[in-house]
Amino acid sequence: MKMIWAVIRPESAQQVIKALDTAGIGGMTRIHVTGHGKDMGITIGAIHYTEIPKEMLLIVVPDSEVAKTVMTIRTEAKTGSKNTPGEGNIGDGKIFVTYVEDSFAIRTIGKAGGDLKRNETDHCDSTG
Amino acid sequence: MKQIIAIVRDDRVEDTKEALEAIGVRGVTFLYVTGRGEQKGRVSARELGGSLNRNMRMQLASALPAGVLPDSATGVTGSPLNQDTEFALGFLPKRMLILIACDNEINRIVQAIVNVNQTGCHGDGRIFICPMISAIRVRTGEQGDKALS
Repeated sequence: MKMIWAVIRPESAQQVIKALDTAGIGGMTRIHVTGHGKDMGITIGAIHYTEIPKEMLLIVVPDSEVAKTVMTIRTEAKTGSKNTPGEGNIGDGKIFVTYVEDSFAIRTIGKAGGDLKRNETDHCDSTG
Repeated sequence: MKQIIAIVRDDRVEDTKEALEAIGVRGVTFLYVTGRGEQKGRVSARELGGSLNRNMRMQLASALPAGVLPDSATGVTGSPLNQDTEFALGFLPKRMLILIACDNEINRIVQAIVNVNQTGCHGDGRIFICPMISAIRVRTGEQGDKALS
């Protein structure tokens, strides 16, 4: 099981969520964050902005669906034409993948029919 | 050392804090998040009335067409509504708890969170356990398990 942390442009969040929905990834958590990349933010006129608003999506999926999820986010979050392969623009975001050792649905844990450790495929959503 | 990421209902956070304090867990990070799961953000009128704090209800009431929420849920006027009617709200307000703990404390913490948060209804939340390599206390520079105590 893996946790995917995707930092994307707020403008492309809705598009990414729709695409994930279509790909069968329904569960996710959404967090407003700010940050900057290696360009240290942007300078507009005399002002230097270092805290650029971004949207962070947190998705937990079985190992078998990691590639599909990452590709879906990458395709949708990349600015510019989707049909042209290659680079988007600076600030399109980043995708991180980390390990998840265990996942519990609070609703069913310890109840009949819901073992402490359920099948991995039951956990492909993160909010229950 | 493990990282526990728990996503719970907004209105259970105070109880969760108390439960964690009772078992000696002091360091917790709280985040306001929105999310959805198997239900893709569908909630029934009954849940809308019960599980959201007033602030959130008013926010939802302004986002939904007039009259679709029961009076009891919002405190604003509207026509009565079948309690089983479901609304697709997309992303629901939740609270995320992030805790870092020693391996042998994980079960106790998970149990404490579950005891307080389990209602048996959709939307109770999820708990994820992730590996964490190290921790450093900024004030003293202590590393590893020492930084947690």
